[in-house]
Amino acid sequence: MPEMHYWTKQEAMAFPQSPKIHLGTEGPDVSWKLQPRFHVCTNISVNQQHMAGNITELAIYKKENYENIQPNAKTVNKSQKILASSRQVHKTAAHVVARSAPEETVTSSFASFIHAVRPEHLTKTVRYRSKRMILDSIGVGLMGSTTPVFDIALQYCRELYSSVAVSSVYGRPGMKLSPTLAAFTNGVATHSMDFDDTWHPATHPSGAVLPALLAASQMLPPSTKPNGLDFLLAFNVGLEVQGRLMHFSTEAHNIPKRFHPPSVVGTMGSAAATAKLLSLSMTQCAHALGIAASLAGAPMANAATQAKPLHIGNATRLGFEAALLAARGMEANPVILDDIPGCSGFSAFYSVYHPKPLSTPGDHHEFLLEKQDIAFKRFPAHLGMHWVVDAALSVRNLFINYAGSFSPSLIRTIVLKIPVSKYINRPFPSSEHQARHSFQFNACTALLDGEVGLSSFTESSIHRQELRELLDKVVVEHPEDNVANFDKMYGEVALLLHSGDVLTGKCDTFYGHWRKPLSRESLLKKFRSNASHVFPEEKVETIITMVDNLESMSDSSQLACSL
Amino acid sequence: MVPGFDQSAHLIQELRKAVGMFYVDTVTGNFANVIHGLNANHLTDQVIQRSKRMILDTLGVGLLGTSTEVYHKVKQYSKIYSSDISSTIWGHLDFRLPPLYAAFVNGVAVHSMDFDDTWHPATHPSGAVLPAVIALSEAFPQKKKISGLDLLLAFNVGIEVQGRLLRFSNEARNIPKRFHPPTVVGTMGSAAACAKLLALDQAKCKNALAIAASYAGAPLANAATQMKPLHIGNAAKHGLEAACLASQDLQGNKQILDMESGMGAFYTDYSPQSLPTLQSYAWLLDQQDVAIKRFPAHLGTHWVADAASSARRKLVESSDHVLPLDKIEKVIVKVPEVKYVNRPNPNSEHEARHSFQFVACSALLDGSMSVQSFASENIHRPALRELLCKTQLEHPADNKPSFESLYCEVTVVLRDGNTISDRCDTFYGHWRKPLEKEDLEKKFQSNASEVLPPEATEGIIETVYNLEKVKDCSILSMFLSGQSARALSEKLRLL
Repeated sequence: MPEMHYWTKQEAMAFPQSPKIHLGTEGPDVSWKLQPRFHVCTNISVNQQHMAGNITELAIYKKENYENIQPNAKTVNKSQKILASSRQVHKTAAHVVARSAPEETVTSSFASFIHAVRPEHLTKTVRYRSKRMILDSIGVGLMGSTTPVFDIALQYCRELYSSVAVSSVYGRPGMKLSPTLAAFTNGVATHSMDFDDTWHPATHPSGAVLPALLAASQMLPPSTKPNGLDFLLAFNVGLEVQGRLMHFSTEAHNIPKRFHPPSVVGTMGSAAATAKLLSLSMTQCAHALGIAASLAGAPMANAATQAKPLHIGNATRLGFEAALLAARGMEANPVILDDIPGCSGFSAFYSVYHPKPLSTPGDHHEFLLEKQDIAFKRFPAHLGMHWVVDAALSVRNLFINYAGSFSPSLIRTIVLKIPVSKYINRPFPSSEHQARHSFQFNACTALLDGEVGLSSFTESSIHRQELRELLDKVVVEHPEDNVANFDKMYGEVALLLHSGDVLTGKCDTFYGHWRKPLSRESLLKKFRSNASHVFPEEKVETIITMVDNLESMSDSSQLACSL
Repeated sequence: MVPGFDQSAHLIQELRKAVGMFYVDTVTGNFANVIHGLNANHLTDQVIQRSKRMILDTLGVGLLGTSTEVYHKVKQYSKIYSSDISSTIWGHLDFRLPPLYAAFVNGVAVHSMDFDDTWHPATHPSGAVLPAVIALSEAFPQKKKISGLDLLLAFNVGIEVQGRLLRFSNEARNIPKRFHPPTVVGTMGSAAACAKLLALDQAKCKNALAIAASYAGAPLANAATQMKPLHIGNAAKHGLEAACLASQDLQGNKQILDMESGMGAFYTDYSPQSLPTLQSYAWLLDQQDVAIKRFPAHLGTHWVADAASSARRKLVESSDHVLPLDKIEKVIVKVPEVKYVNRPNPNSEHEARHSFQFVACSALLDGSMSVQSFASENIHRPALRELLCKTQLEHPADNKPSFESLYCEVTVVLRDGNTISDRCDTFYGHWRKPLEKEDLEKKFQSNASEVLPPEATEGIIETVYNLEKVKDCSILSMFLSGQSARALSEKLRLL
């Protein structure tokens, strides 16, 4: 058997039109600096309004190799001459021009966004927010590497493929897996406790993107390692694509019923992010999305089971596979995101579908993360639980003031006013995964213990007699104004006492929601608590520093190597 | 009459019901029960015979598929994985892959030309199952031999589950619009077949189905692209993965087949039904045979090919045995409305395989269809392009997009006003007019000989025909890799 199981330089070089890879060739390499511009040329010829942005791009490459080229429209011809100077390069350019005919489709707009967006497009807010997400996601994943579902996924991957190991596994220093399977296990770890971030419209964006990028960063040959800023950009491309896709369907605005969103948009986001990190051409980016669509979509019914963490693991892994296949020249439907009557593309996952093009970034691109921040969880359960827990905690305080102590015997009925969402309405959860998806369980645990935390979901906590007695008293109501939407929902817990008195606690915005974001201290506290389950203090602090300084990291694979 | 007798009879009845409920309270539980409970004695002669034809055909189609571009790409891709446990890559003596990627690569090979079998309601049943069970059979420890009968049973469980799931929705009866069926039911079928081969218990069979559902479903828009062959490869791969994860005790939803938000997510009119009882189990393959393709293109184009070929014969007869190409005014092809097979101007091989128009014109020009019809030079020859310009589709209201009832009528209108037409209701190879044994073998030999030596080709035919009697089915894998019979004389004695 040949030795070349993974990305030797030769293999990496086999990536067609992958500019980064060419860095590995000897001497000052002209082609990679120029290759991104082929698509630039294409754009210029078909769409004048993109010009401003393309010229800026030209200017950046210029700084290193072409001192004399000025960043204005006059230089286009000159730069084309430089292009033509390399025959091979020229041929590829012609190919690209032929392939990306100027038919403007939503799909092609996504492909050109992924391809064209640059680090400068990341604003301060976007960087800040995305780094918080990265840190939190890592912490949650490290914590998740201690769960049984993670053990199963890891065991599975180790038994089948241990010999092409280059990518790190969370919390297992020294252990390596093949890149896509490392992404898979780390994705499972991230969602194993449902402790990872949640966006609006509802999905878990980071877990679908980060593990693939970490694994991919370790896969690329040393001479072509993406730097920290490349990494951050790719991460944001993954988020942006997920967010944009979520806005294609009004039904996606509410808590889902049919498909689990991370399995749909997460797979696409991972494909976009890894396509970006691998510097795929615009055509390849479109195919990566097309391939990813065929790997997307898992039914909601597997929520609250061990298969749910698998959804994130597979989103990040299969999106990554899609990008790798696209890099190898695999072709899919190039208009997968567009509405194709009689033959569904990405619309197959929705009953209402209105695709909207994504503008090709010029000097400026407004990321959705700029407008819509993320929610970080304080305890490992479905996001909806955070409202009822905060409401339960406040009514608990009232009750203790009222009765002097928390005395369940005084309570006749516990009324929960929550939105209709079948899969998180579970009166008597019997497993850890069900408990994480039960309004009733989380409200009662908060009432009983005055907090909800990691230990709330252990087997013994779930089956406590006192808790069961409280659960027996729960009545659920669905007020019409309480809609199943993370931007609008609220949680209300009312205690109807035997005395006839009624105590009520209500939460409109829990701490950690995007309207009331976690402070840096709280976020770090969560990270330290999570990471310290598997790492010594010193290492935990190193990771925090790395993420803090991500933009200035010269080799982003250092982050993955430290996990 | 003893007083109270009625009552106690009633009670017993209730009790039985309750016991029944306990075992089969959900369609999902029922499926798990049946997958777990079926054994080799349940296989009827007809089922065995039909499934062996399918196996042989699928192997041939897959071997041929190893010469395609899309196959080459996924093979290169999958080389990044390797492991101590490895399975045969069909047609390759020199390299093996971990079972999961062997299932993937061989599955892609099977569907790479759209040359594999088609069932009714529409799906490609064998390609999603066979590569997975063969790859898995090689992953067992040396001591535990998988017999030909084990393999045959697992294969049939995979086929049966697909057929049953397709009957859960009326929209599945017609040619699909939203999801490509092999990605939905094929993934489930592969999981069921692998669960069977792994001899998982009932609870784990249920989990295998639940986990597989999370991998199911690819949009139809990727049909007629290189991605479509990957749908079959992924169905095989992901079903196998689901079964392996279930065997590690990973748990999914216990009622995945029962819920709207389970398998129902893939359909708009989902209504799950339980399977027949295990006593004298009624296999779908007994009631409904598969169609086996004669040339590598979408099944719907087979009606077109037969109608166009006979129209050509009439045309040539009526004009002194030459094809009067220049006298053709237009060609009218009456077919059902199927958006993704309506391609007036196909540009790639994958598009040509999904074009009513292309197949009509090729058959008119050449008199028949073959593997060669889809070669780039044939797709782009001027005579064909010219004829394509003259071709139009019509969709009569009575021509429904169902492989059970569709027909094709080809009418050639000549410049002088004369018309010649012919109609095909059932093409040769359709389940109502199955391929003769010799023709099936001929197709296999022609496919397999592209990559295998003749001894291996004949070895496969003999092994598949005697599959129930094969003690160790690894011989099949050895032939598939291209080892010749002489090297396998030891193994052959097991037959």
